[in-house]
Amino acid sequence: MTLLVVENLAISIGGRRIVEDVGFTIAAGRSLALVGASGSGKSQTCLAPFGLSPATVAGSFRLDGTELVGVDEQRLRRVRGRDVGFVFQQPLTALTPHLTIGAQLREAWTQAGASRPSRAAMAAALERVGLDRATERLDQYPHRLSGGQRQRALIAMAIAHRPKLLVADEPTTALDAMLRAEIMTLLGRLCTEEGMALLLVSHDLAAVADHVDAVAVMHAGQVVETGPTRAVLGNPRSDYARALIAASPRLDGSPPALGPIGAPLVEARRVSVSFARPGWRRGRLRAVDGVDIDVAEGEAVAIVGGSGSGKSTVARAIARLGPIDAGTVLWQGAPLPERRAMRPRDRAGLQPVFQDPVASLDPLWKVRDIVAEPLHRLRADLGRTAIAARVEAVLAEVGLDPSLADRRPGALSGGQAQRVAIARALGPDPAMLLLDEATSALDVLVAGTILDLLAELQRRRGLAILMITHDLAVARRLCHRIVVMDAGRVVEQGPTDRLIAAPAHAVTQRLVAASR
Amino acid sequence: MRPALIVIALIVAAALLGPLALHWRYDVIDWDAVRAAPFTGNHLMGTDSVGRDLLARTLVGTRVTLGVAFAAALVSLVVGVAWGAVAGWRGGRVDEAMMRVVDALYALPFMFVVILLMVVFGRSILLVFLGIGAVEWLTMARVVRGQMIALRERPFITAAEAAGTPPAAVVVRHMLPNIAGVAIAYLLLTIPQVVMIESFLSFLGLGVQEPMTSLGILLKDGADDMDVAPHALLLPAAVLVTLLLCLTRAGERLRDRFAQ
Repeated sequence: MTLLVVENLAISIGGRRIVEDVGFTIAAGRSLALVGASGSGKSQTCLAPFGLSPATVAGSFRLDGTELVGVDEQRLRRVRGRDVGFVFQQPLTALTPHLTIGAQLREAWTQAGASRPSRAAMAAALERVGLDRATERLDQYPHRLSGGQRQRALIAMAIAHRPKLLVADEPTTALDAMLRAEIMTLLGRLCTEEGMALLLVSHDLAAVADHVDAVAVMHAGQVVETGPTRAVLGNPRSDYARALIAASPRLDGSPPALGPIGAPLVEARRVSVSFARPGWRRGRLRAVDGVDIDVAEGEAVAIVGGSGSGKSTVARAIARLGPIDAGTVLWQGAPLPERRAMRPRDRAGLQPVFQDPVASLDPLWKVRDIVAEPLHRLRADLGRTAIAARVEAVLAEVGLDPSLADRRPGALSGGQAQRVAIARALGPDPAMLLLDEATSALDVLVAGTILDLLAELQRRRGLAILMITHDLAVARRLCHRIVVMDAGRVVEQGPTDRLIAAPAHAVTQRLVAASR
Repeated sequence: MRPALIVIALIVAAALLGPLALHWRYDVIDWDAVRAAPFTGNHLMGTDSVGRDLLARTLVGTRVTLGVAFAAALVSLVVGVAWGAVAGWRGGRVDEAMMRVVDALYALPFMFVVILLMVVFGRSILLVFLGIGAVEWLTMARVVRGQMIALRERPFITAAEAAGTPPAAVVVRHMLPNIAGVAIAYLLLTIPQVVMIESFLSFLGLGVQEPMTSLGILLKDGADDMDVAPHALLLPAAVLVTLLLCLTRAGERLRDRFAQ
């Protein structure tokens, strides 16, 4: 039975047409994913017809035979409350902090007109979404739950009133790779068990592929390809879908060609970092506990782990960009000075690239000055004209148009901003790059091109790379060796192929499963 | 921003140079024209209740008010920004100690401090400047500290450290410019506040003394007389309203430009 029928849907905001001629159908108990880059109109397609965005909607959007286009706000509200459940991207902010999980779940129940649920019923609802110790959770406040647990609680709220349709807008984008796979599996299972239709929005085709029945690939406000997931993935007809599939890194396929490895470059021994506990309680929180990491010249090493595993903290400690409690770091055989004692030539060898490209550039500076900053400070041997020439050269090397040099970060796209950050890091001719989730805030297509660029730079310059990621498939694209971290310790490490083919530790096995 | 800035510049120029071009000095009494209406004799805007030229008094009063506002803004900017920036950037014990000093000063009743200063050092317009300035920088220090703490965690600050930029240069070249918008917006908000404080002090007889005047005193005198000589209220009120509107407008535009 077809539950949702969308035909000729057109959406405009402020007179600008952002979605045109979109159509698809979903049957009860089936799922469909709208896949596309940011700005392709995929979120608007699933929010605007329900009156959840300020856009004007034309065409037809029929839920269980009821037309939603052109219906007044009061009727829409009733549809939203009774027939549809919503799950959004940010699980960390979507729960009200001062109400217990139980209170919020009860509210989700009663707002749809149901009678007050018993505690047992609510606990059962939490169990159904795979939340452990469900009865206990009812009395907990949101801050006690991790990101993945909050998303589960939110899903429980979204389906509490047994909606016919569940709309999930990028439900896993803010989560790490392991949780991503678990939440997707959960959504797929609920959809079958409850006979509910699932409309999913994602920018990552590969991530949703195993969990939905059909996909509609969107590009520039239009559906460029639609069909059963297997057909679209196996035999994409449009160029755009082909590009999307090629861009997302996978664990199978031929391993990438990596450059040769030289002498030891970084030898970190027994690195420990702890933070003061927040609040009034005394004591310190161990974030990193006695970690050893080696990187040779020209070698790319990935530190992989879930959120909170300490991977980012240890990398910053090694790069002298964050606190360190104990441990030594050798750089080319000589001890690296403490953070405050770092001399320019120590800094020049190791340059970082961060996760959020726009936030890692000073919003008031021009691209030209941003790229020149480390050159002024770290390369005393270069004069003014030499620096200017070098800025041009590295901008060209990362594939940026010279006309962008006079822009400020606010006028750059995410991909462009990340290229600027890479150009800045390359300026002083470092021996090693520190990539802290350098692609995880970007769209799949853009992330793909950035990974290609990094792979090329690595080959051409013989760069060593220390990469922090939660995604094994991304690590495989670039790295010789993988170090898996969990709860502040290294649990397993080894050559990329060996580690992926035969993961020994339970955490590694989960990571591998999540990226399949 | 332009029109607002032009009007501010005109008001400042008139306050500074205007009195030189007028026939009457602000403290000279014209016994033939008490509470005169505008355009009486050569009193362009008439006179006040004791026959002093109102235009001359308004211009001089504007000068005094602007002077107090400027001095307080300067103190708030220099001391407040420096204090808040150091506290927010260093964090930890330094931050704790510096902010407790701010808290302690906040706790002092402001009027009590000013009266004490007057008693100890005698009445002087300089003390009014100092007294207001000493209080106005406290909030600025808190605002700046909060901004610095939020900014310190931003990746571009870490990137600057990786680029070998020394800590002091990171503060001056990356952090301060990024809080300038908020600081300036707040600064322009303190000016109307200072104008109010100044006129209140003058009303108590602790601020500017007769025959010297300020917009606050003129408003008070004008309000006393408004049923017989409304122009004595309207002229200083018009100047004050125009000035405040233009300052706010200029501040908002400046903030938006920094926010881009």
